Amino acid sequence: MSCDQPAICIAAASVTYRTRHAQRRALDQVSLEADDQLVAMLGPNGAGKSTLMGVLSGMIVPDEGVVTAPASRGDLAIVFQTPALDELLTVRENILLAGAMHAMSKRDTLARLGELAGPLHLQDRLADQVRHLSGGLKRRADLARALIARPAVLLLDEPTTGLDIEARQQFWSFLEATRRATPMTILLATHLTEEAEHADRVLLMREGTIIADDSPAKLKATLSDRVLRIQSADHTAMVGWAARSGRPYRETGESILIADADQDLLAGCPDPAATLTLATPTLSDVYSWYAGASASLEAPR
Amino acid sequence: MNAFTPTLAMTKRELIRQTRQPSRVIASVATPLLVWAFFAGGFAGAVGSVDPTSGTRLGAYIIPGMASMTVLFASIFASISLIQDRHDGFLRAALVSPAPRWTIAISKISAGSILALIQATIVLLALPFLGVQPSPIGVLGALAALGCISILLIGIGLAMAWIVDSTQGFHGVMNALLMPLWLTSGAVFPVDDAAGWLRLIAYANPLTWAQTAMRLSLGMGTASPSHTTIAWSVTVASALGGALLAVLVISRSKPTR
Repeated sequence: MSCDQPAICIAAASVTYRTRHAQRRALDQVSLEADDQLVAMLGPNGAGKSTLMGVLSGMIVPDEGVVTAPASRGDLAIVFQTPALDELLTVRENILLAGAMHAMSKRDTLARLGELAGPLHLQDRLADQVRHLSGGLKRRADLARALIARPAVLLLDEPTTGLDIEARQQFWSFLEATRRATPMTILLATHLTEEAEHADRVLLMREGTIIADDSPAKLKATLSDRVLRIQSADHTAMVGWAARSGRPYRETGESILIADADQDLLAGCPDPAATLTLATPTLSDVYSWYAGASASLEAPR
Repeated sequence: MNAFTPTLAMTKRELIRQTRQPSRVIASVATPLLVWAFFAGGFAGAVGSVDPTSGTRLGAYIIPGMASMTVLFASIFASISLIQDRHDGFLRAALVSPAPRWTIAISKISAGSILALIQATIVLLALPFLGVQPSPIGVLGALAALGCISILLIGIGLAMAWIVDSTQGFHGVMNALLMPLWLTSGAVFPVDDAAGWLRLIAYANPLTWAQTAMRLSLGMGTASPSHTTIAWSVTVASALGGALLAVLVISRSKPTR
């Protein structure tokens, strides 16, 4: 894989975690190139999302493969699952510290903070200690910390974990506005399909590998306009019916998913007690389709 | 990259954190003062003058030891903050920032030593009330020795804190390592009068030489120029060694996963 100066370039990276008694392949020959895009990594816990972020940030050295971009830690910033702020410091002190870690002068940091504080609705809370802020405010302060040095690459590791819907919406609207104002490559790790919908590109990940990589619309289009989700006590019989329907289908855990579905198919269902849902495909359907029978996007909040 | 700015900023951060946790500072000073009161009071009748040549009584004799105990506690707090930073998530941000990793070690050592010296100075203020009148240069010398002790202990503590994941585990390691270092350093007894085996351990302990350097600076004892030179050389070298240990461990070891 050769990269022509993109913001992110990883070639065939593999990581194996070893303990005294076991070893686990957390990343398996993953290659990725991205530039000026919002790329979402969608997968359950243990899919390799955080490991890939660790490799990009230099926190984890891959056993195999190379990372050629971002070339230096000065080019990237990370928003972790929990805010990386000092709770005893004020928001302003935390941001000044983050600027100093990038060798920014106090004047430049404060000027940049002035740009960020308004859109993030932090102006009135800059003098507050972080421990006194709500979860949503902490998240926004943490985002300000990450953006203070205008990074070319922003890594978001499940950034809205623990936030309520309103706080999540505020987070995303700010991020969208920031992207419009400043070109930036964003790599998002999430197990929330609604967050992955924000992305230009979605990487479906399972057990350390990328199993699909395309835009959300194109990924959903692979299942056609409509899918039929089936849950039935007589699972085996329904699998047989799906097979006889002549349409593509997958067993997805306790459910069955039939692509290219329509009302005619629905009408022919042999089990009147089955729960049938005819709907446009979601990224969750797409994930189940690609990842197979035992895979699901658990979404703990 | 300019490493001075992040080092200074992280040092300032550590100092700000301390001002917002005054209970820690109070505990660091109060414990040695209490230990001093019980030692000095408890042994007042049993022990006359500890140093017959100068006539120094136990109450005054152990004040430098209590100052070093204050530094010991302050150093443990400074080191344990690394584990807290890891658990709070702050350390991740520091590790992925462009600032060199050694700036983490140097800033913790700098801030921890500043705080340790402020606290130890409070303990040393008791000396004039116990009949010891050190010169201003002597006080500066004592603070220099205490600074070296602090750098050594924080250096060792940071190296341990980098490896140990829990505060409980860290306390265990510290109790097994740093407390014996302090106890065998002559902080509460004259090394020259100790049993032979203990004397051997004490002479191999860098803290003993730092205690000696401190006492000599404060005018609490006499020594030949060569003995004084050895005491200061060992004291400064072990401080540099402690700092180097922390820098190397934090810079070179694999990041925590």
